[in-house]
Amino acid sequence: MSAVRVVMLLAGKDLRIEARGRQTLGLVVVLGILIEVVLALGLGQASSGLRATAILWVTYLFGGVLCFEKTMAVERQHGAMAGLLLAPVDRGLIYLGKLCANLALLGALAAVVTPVGIVFFGFDLSAAPGAFAAVIGLSLVGYAAVGTLFSAVTSASRLQGGLLAMVVFPLSLPLVITSTQVLAGVMDRGEALDMSGLGVIAVFDVIFLTASWSVFELVVEP
Amino acid sequence: MTTSASIRLGRPGARAGSASTAVSLRGVSKSIDGRAVLSEVSVELPRGSFVSVMGANGAGKSTLLRVMSTLTGATEGEVRIFGESRGAAVRAKIGMVAHETMLYDELTALENVTLFARLHGVPGAASRARLMLEQLGVGAVAHAAVRSMSRGVAQRVALARALVHGPELLLADEVFAGLDVGSRELVEGVLTEAWGKGCTIVTCGHDVEQSLRLSERVLVLERGRLVMDEWAHRLTAGSLRERLGGRA
Ligand SMILES: Nc1ncnc2c1ncn2[C@@H]1O[C@H](COP(=O)(O)OP(=O)(O)O)[C@@H](O)[C@H]1O
Ligand SMILES: [Mg+2]
Repeated sequence: MSAVRVVMLLAGKDLRIEARGRQTLGLVVVLGILIEVVLALGLGQASSGLRATAILWVTYLFGGVLCFEKTMAVERQHGAMAGLLLAPVDRGLIYLGKLCANLALLGALAAVVTPVGIVFFGFDLSAAPGAFAAVIGLSLVGYAAVGTLFSAVTSASRLQGGLLAMVVFPLSLPLVITSTQVLAGVMDRGEALDMSGLGVIAVFDVIFLTASWSVFELVVEP
Repeated sequence: MTTSASIRLGRPGARAGSASTAVSLRGVSKSIDGRAVLSEVSVELPRGSFVSVMGANGAGKSTLLRVMSTLTGATEGEVRIFGESRGAAVRAKIGMVAHETMLYDELTALENVTLFARLHGVPGAASRARLMLEQLGVGAVAHAAVRSMSRGVAQRVALARALVHGPELLLADEVFAGLDVGSRELVEGVLTEAWGKGCTIVTCGHDVEQSLRLSERVLVLERGRLVMDEWAHRLTAGSLRERLGGRA
């Protein structure tokens, strides 16, 4: 079977399990909106791209960690990960399948909290909606790459959940800093899209994707 | 059911040679957290063997099966499954029922088994999966979520999952635990049928009579050491029980 089909099959499995009432997405969306309420009210009405991007990042960070934990927990329930490891497929594809499922959930989260922020909390992304989508999209790939790998690590080591955030948040710092700076430049200062910033994010993505893809097997080895 | 037709002469393990060998362990030791779980286990299983691994709880049976599955590596020694130490090509030939069912609670029995059939590249995955479930007497619950199933039913779904790709080596860890008499016989029949088709089978369990009836060869582990490797027809329930120290 082709690699793409294996990844789709595994991601589809995770999303189907999610749809059957794991309710991760519902939980994550509610959490995201709560974060928006608290931070938007707390920071006041000042309408800036920086403010919108920062608040949205907080929703992605916390929502993402929940998604990563939940989708990986599925594999620990009845030793299902061992079943996947026994399949005659490249084990990197198991990682990529999980990554795709996590990205789909993160994408769904972003698709809800972004419009909610625009409509209810005065997030003004109109200066550069395309740049916003591109920068955030690219950043979320890197964030999910890191989160998926370390959800496997923390789940395999039977350590408790809060640990994942403590590992993944600092590792994602380059993504958060670069993307907020790039977007603040575009939206608040009317600059052109900073391609070197975008490049930093892309390099981060590539490094973490390839590294995770190759070490995943070692991480989940029982 | 008799295994006399396939009884081989000579000492167990005397038939080495990689082409006809399904499982070859040489001096395999496994430590977990610094504790020796397997110690210098050497065993050679020809293709088409039906072997029971016996021993007290904690003797290392499950670990031995996991080593044979290539899921876990040996700390020392050499593991060869169909001549190879690991990799996707070896995994394609292995089916495993472990202590945990490896099933997804939220998916139905059919979805679980079909997923693995697809991962193994089985043509007509869904219909093959359905067939396996029917053979194991769980066709009626093919569309029920695994979450709702009793241990015995889930166990049979797990066996369907392990057999769906027609493995050449089936590793079945306490596959009879939690089964009622009817399903026990059914599972015995399915194992015997797979064996008849040339599948090498390694089971572990605690039922002395059943092991002697089903398998042609019995291995006994004691605190991680292989202390007995004997043809089943040379053993009686009494002698085997004695060897197991009356704990089986
Ligand atoms: N993952 C593990 N972590 C720690 N100890 C383990 C693990 N797996 C097995 N053991 C230990 O190894 C020994 C053998 O276990 P096992 O192979 O399950 O025996 P059996 O299947 O014969 O009951 C036991 O003492 C068990 O506690
Ligand atoms: Mg066991």
